Amino acid sequence: MDKLVSKIGKNRNLVLVLAISLLSLVGVLDIFLVDKIFAPIVYFYIAFGIVLLLYGVYPLYTNRRLTRYYLDRTKRNRLAIFGLAFILFLILMAVIGPFFTLDPTAVNFEEKDLPPLGFTIEQSVYDAETGKLVRVSVPSTIEHPLGTDNKGRDMLAMLVSGARVSLQVGLLATLIALILGTVIGVLSAYLGGWADNILMRFTDIMMTFPFFLLLVFVIFIFGPNLAIIVLVIGLTGWTGAARLIRSEALSLRTREFVLASKALGASDSRLIFAHLIPNVISLVIVMATLSIPGVILAEAALSFIGLGDPTVPSWGTVLKAGQQTLDTAWWVAVEPGLMLFLTVLAFNFLGDGLRDAFDPKSGL
Amino acid sequence: MGKTWLRDYIIKRLIYAVIIAFGIMTVTFILIRVGPSSPADKYLANLAATGQDVSQVVAAIEARYGLDKPIYQQYVDYIANLVQGDWGWSFSTSMPVMQLIKTHWIYSFQLIFLSTIFATVVGILIGIYSAVRQYSKTDYIATFFSFIGISIPNFWLGVMLILVFSVKLGLFKTYYDTTLPLFSLANLKALILPVVTLGTGMLAGYTRYTRSAMLDNLRKEFVRTARAKGLPERTVIGKHVFRNALLPIITIIMFDLGSIVFGGAYLTEIVFGIPGLGQISFNAIFANDYPVVVAITLIGTFIVLMVNLVTDITYTYLDPRIRYD
Repeated sequence: MDKLVSKIGKNRNLVLVLAISLLSLVGVLDIFLVDKIFAPIVYFYIAFGIVLLLYGVYPLYTNRRLTRYYLDRTKRNRLAIFGLAFILFLILMAVIGPFFTLDPTAVNFEEKDLPPLGFTIEQSVYDAETGKLVRVSVPSTIEHPLGTDNKGRDMLAMLVSGARVSLQVGLLATLIALILGTVIGVLSAYLGGWADNILMRFTDIMMTFPFFLLLVFVIFIFGPNLAIIVLVIGLTGWTGAARLIRSEALSLRTREFVLASKALGASDSRLIFAHLIPNVISLVIVMATLSIPGVILAEAALSFIGLGDPTVPSWGTVLKAGQQTLDTAWWVAVEPGLMLFLTVLAFNFLGDGLRDAFDPKSGL
Repeated sequence: MGKTWLRDYIIKRLIYAVIIAFGIMTVTFILIRVGPSSPADKYLANLAATGQDVSQVVAAIEARYGLDKPIYQQYVDYIANLVQGDWGWSFSTSMPVMQLIKTHWIYSFQLIFLSTIFATVVGILIGIYSAVRQYSKTDYIATFFSFIGISIPNFWLGVMLILVFSVKLGLFKTYYDTTLPLFSLANLKALILPVVTLGTGMLAGYTRYTRSAMLDNLRKEFVRTARAKGLPERTVIGKHVFRNALLPIITIIMFDLGSIVFGGAYLTEIVFGIPGLGQISFNAIFANDYPVVVAITLIGTFIVLMVNLVTDITYTYLDPRIRYD
């Protein structure tokens, strides 16, 4: 078992190329098949899982001493631990939550505007006998622990669905952006000269683009759809990573161990894959953690202004609906926003903690 | 040395800006053409909604938009119209797009202007205090709140402010009152919640930038010299440390104005119903009003370009150590 793992690990670049090509092949075949094997988004998940295993889990698994060291340093930062715990909870909620909650789209006007557990509100109800509006107090129910909206949809179920949307968009768009950024950054550093100049100019241009306006524009033209939102954010969000990786690569190029490896006759691809990428990976992980909240916020903002995917309830759409019923059902606006806020906070805390943990110079 | 390289640099940046502007116009053109629905479709959807017979208008619209011409001709016309300031006609409001923008930009401007002032002044003050009293209780509280301020989604903050101050306490209206005269106290009061909404994120950011810029400079040799000379602490902080910290702070604020503020202002306008450019673009999207969406995207991008250009040039001018190649 250990032998197999180390064999795969040593050739992980080859494994990655093979796995991704196999996956794309199956994916393309799938599109032409009448009976679909997976939904398109599942292919992205599998790709994400493969990358995570090969470049995240494997190095940590083989370098146990280093793993323990990182863990130790992260553990000392209580906020980072809170962040990590909340993110794990969120992932759990998104993955298995839908099996336990009600249907988030089921409308039931009998149970509209129910408050969350522990709250009781006054509601005006039409009384058929007297023909007048009467005030009645409405208690919360255990079936809807977080209450319901003005169409009687279960808040908990909608929040779970929203967690799914947010994580999907956040992870996938960041994955695309980081892969692009790494490729462009490494290329730029290794090619140098005019190629570097053009790539970096292009990066500058992309950086100054008001990204939210572009997003709104593209969604306006192509229609609201999660895949498009992911693609646009992924294709525009790589600039920071590209710059960071380029500068890191440039400084690594002159370091002794790289020069030694070069003197021993290592090829460019070996230099890139064996020295450069493993050395920037911790930087990339920190960058990913810190850029995920921005992506999640962008998606929520889009759904908030009504440009989100209309087929799935997300935190942004629920929040928008909640603004319309602030005077009768405040929780509809409070709950999704709170989730969004905590998620962003958790990723920021974790990212900061990881940055300190990976930086041997920081005095932890 | 001297000023020639600065002039060359400015010219170079201007050329870049023009190239980028053309790039953006080209990208919007391509997106519109590649997109699943043409301007004609959007217009027809509009007409059909009012119950008119649409078949006879199709040819007229295609001619109006030059859709019957070859694609390169359409591209040339598109760019030429934009450059000449003919930005088209808004379907939903029946007025030229330029006219629409001229009547509404002031609402966006006042929101962004007031929020920036609010965030800059308060943020810099808190940042200075935090840095001077590093690791004090106030510093920890400020750091904690700036973390929260950076993470809080501004549209949610806006909704929460409405919930507490308008719905529960009844201190403000739930929506921005458009009938108020622009330069009046009532208008200022109506803008309090929107300004806090848009300003909080910026405020938190500027507090952190100021704090770290001040701390960087506090450790410098010349500060020790100034103190050794026996200068009062107020002079050391105000003249030696703060003036040197100001440059990076201003740069960051200007760059923020370009990218972050636009997205934030767009959302804030929608939350409070302020009839600025964001609100107009929002309405246009749901009215399928093509030219308006295109125009506001382009204008937003151009403004960001200009702001970044000015930032770069000011920065180069103010800090002689910086030389771009």
